[in-house]
Amino acid sequence: MQSSNAINYDYTVAKYFTVSAIVLGIVGMSVGVIIAFQLAFPELNNFFGEYGTFGRLRPIHTDGVAFGFTVSGIMATWYYIGQRVLKVSMAESKFLMFIGKLQFWLYIIVVAVAVVSLLMGETSSKEYAEFEWPVDIGIVIVWVLWGVSIFGLIGIRREKVLYISVWYYIATFLGVAMLYVFNNMEVPTYFVSGMGDWFHSVSMYAGSNDAMVQWWYGHNAVAFVFTVPIIAMIYYFLPKESGQPIFSYKLSLLSFWGLMFVYLWAGGHHLLYSTVPDWVQTMASIFSIILILPSWGSAINILLTMKGEWGQLKDNPLIKFYVLASTFYMLSTLEGPIQAIKSVNALAHFTDWIPGHVHDGTLGWVGFMIIGGIFHMAPRMFKREIFSKKLVEAQFWLQTTGIVMYFTSMWIAGITQGMMWRATDQYGNLAYSFIDTVEVLHPYWTLRAVGGSFYLIGVFMWAYNIYKTATSSKAIEKEPQYASPMA
Amino acid sequence: MDMEFIRNLQGWGYVSMIFFLTIGFYIYIYYLYKSQKGGKKDYEKYSDMALNDDIDDTLVEGKHPQENKKDNEER
Amino acid sequence: MFHWLEKNPFFFAVGVFLVIAYAGIVTILPDFMESARPLKGTKPYTVLQLAGRQVYIRNGCNTCHSQLIRPFKSETDRYGKYSLSGEYAYDRPFLWGSRRIGPDLHRVGNYRTTDWHENHMLNPQAVVPGSIMPKYGFMFKKSADLKTAYAEAYTVKKVFDVPYNQPGMPKLGTYDQAKKAAFIQAGKIVAGMKNQGVKDAYKNGDIKEIVALIAYLNGLK
Ligand code: HEC
Repeated sequence: MQSSNAINYDYTVAKYFTVSAIVLGIVGMSVGVIIAFQLAFPELNNFFGEYGTFGRLRPIHTDGVAFGFTVSGIMATWYYIGQRVLKVSMAESKFLMFIGKLQFWLYIIVVAVAVVSLLMGETSSKEYAEFEWPVDIGIVIVWVLWGVSIFGLIGIRREKVLYISVWYYIATFLGVAMLYVFNNMEVPTYFVSGMGDWFHSVSMYAGSNDAMVQWWYGHNAVAFVFTVPIIAMIYYFLPKESGQPIFSYKLSLLSFWGLMFVYLWAGGHHLLYSTVPDWVQTMASIFSIILILPSWGSAINILLTMKGEWGQLKDNPLIKFYVLASTFYMLSTLEGPIQAIKSVNALAHFTDWIPGHVHDGTLGWVGFMIIGGIFHMAPRMFKREIFSKKLVEAQFWLQTTGIVMYFTSMWIAGITQGMMWRATDQYGNLAYSFIDTVEVLHPYWTLRAVGGSFYLIGVFMWAYNIYKTATSSKAIEKEPQYASPMA
Repeated sequence: MDMEFIRNLQGWGYVSMIFFLTIGFYIYIYYLYKSQKGGKKDYEKYSDMALNDDIDDTLVEGKHPQENKKDNEER
Repeated sequence: MFHWLEKNPFFFAVGVFLVIAYAGIVTILPDFMESARPLKGTKPYTVLQLAGRQVYIRNGCNTCHSQLIRPFKSETDRYGKYSLSGEYAYDRPFLWGSRRIGPDLHRVGNYRTTDWHENHMLNPQAVVPGSIMPKYGFMFKKSADLKTAYAEAYTVKKVFDVPYNQPGMPKLGTYDQAKKAAFIQAGKIVAGMKNQGVKDAYKNGDIKEIVALIAYLNGLK
């Protein structure tokens, strides 16, 4: 290391977003646990009048974890990884520093307005796009600021080649921008008619079209919020924490393009059984199958990076987080296509199997990467050891147990309910009334809520550990190169 | 434009793009491995961007050639 | 050949954007043009129904209830005729939902009545033992927001040419006319209810949320 260079990386903005990731993670997941218990014990709906019912709280949970916890995590890691792989410090540009801070504070304001407005019932009802138009405008501004920050930092970089993680962050930026804007096209009614609630708006699209845009958004938002930026994280944190170069860098480039093609082109199954010529349909399915292979590249590439170094899995709890995360990524990317098969979908749609699938991905893959990533960043940002290794270990096992309880109970619940809805007696009449199919779920819903609570407790442990790391853990003199030091 | 025509257009747009992307994709694979083998570029070196990412670590590929990593330059 | 892509963030970004945007255009635009036509007999919502629909949305009924009957025998037996695209032509936003924690409601107006809804919304567990639906007593106290409902009807008529005032379609004039019409429609529902508070409020010129909601649910056929 040369000591002539006095510039250091500046983690101010990364620290801000770390705090918001922790706080919003706690908020979003607490609401999740509450609504999980409400399904098992419906009396819990009635404590706060209209503000405490399941229907009001659910968007706060989904948006809270997606746009609160996850987006904060994306930002925190970007403002950390971005500097490091481009080898340029935020401190070198007053402008970018200002943009970063502005982005953070605007984001916090938008989040606050969003939570309050959802609680008041100001919602467009479209899933993961519930916010009404004033919040949407705020979100667009925050997003544009992030774009300025990404391309600004790239503009002043020293390292000429963009590391693979940067590719993924750019794709996240572009994908979310396009999807969000198109799905939220709406007309504020107050400005047309001059009366009524000024927050209220109507969708630009009606009925089936609205549904189509919504699920084009819904499916791909999952791609660009829960997959793409998380891959950006793992391609940095796993090699860095383990000291192992990526198994095959070329494979990582290929799987990037593979993912870009497959995710959005998977929409081609809309064409099946329509009026386009048969051969076109056949070609379409063949090609989409061929293209699936490269998209699997990422996960395998990541696991192979640990080749010959599996001992680290035993010694280093952060490696455990990363490896389990990529395992869950493989699981849920296998499960998703299975659910998309027509006959499976007929059974699974509208049941708990779907939230079950979502949560393998979000708790196992997204949550673990953000938690593990911030653990890795903490000693570097705060120049202290991670406060307690034992606590990290305990958190890992508690949360893993929680996830397993969550998805097993939801799989069983979903398949049970799906089967009961369609079951008939010997005369061909429906065998069960609707309420029968609800009552049978009670034990699974209870189990799910308990599993979710385990995960939430884990998040509290994480918060405490990071807090202690930042304030009172043992100081370190030199930045660790690979494995994060922990007491 | 009647619906059938639009559907056909869609089908063609779909297949041709998939075709184009797939071809492009496999050319890219070929290109990556070829340029690695031919010694034009060492992609695997790029992993170092994550591993050696202190602000004063040597660059893998700087804007000015003299900043580059040694072994990269020799090739 | 590809190296400039890897080094030039601008071209890289354009490339990624083209790939994802083109996919969107080809895969959804044509469906878009096809499914925009309303089915014969489908009518836009009255102002009172829109107010009820807004209550439905504000309280996230769509988080537990779907409005999409799929073409399977088990579904048509349970809920009625399967849903057709054209039936949703005036639904902004669509309310298909994604999870059936409660039953589908797309044709609930065919088999549930005003007084059933009244009892059920007040205390679902009393009507259907074992139900996990929340109690909605507050809807019997809060007033329906006719102004916002009118604003919405006015907006869709003006911006999207929704055919109000055409032969056989609901009328939409000034706000005062709309209010009058809403009161007439609400009167029929209130007459079928027994909650004294709601009845008294109606007499005093105030429509409660529950009345608007029931008007909406009764219209789902
Ligand atoms: C926590 C989920 C949940 C929410 C939120 C919810 N419901 Fe329900 N709903 C149910 C369940 C479960 C049933 C089936 C048991 C019953 O009839 O109470 C049901 C039944 C119904 C029924 C009877 C349907 C039939 O075919 O018998 C109607 C009508 C209804 N709900 C309307 C609403 C309205 C209106 C709202 C919003 C204000 C709402 N629900 C919110 C869960 C919910």
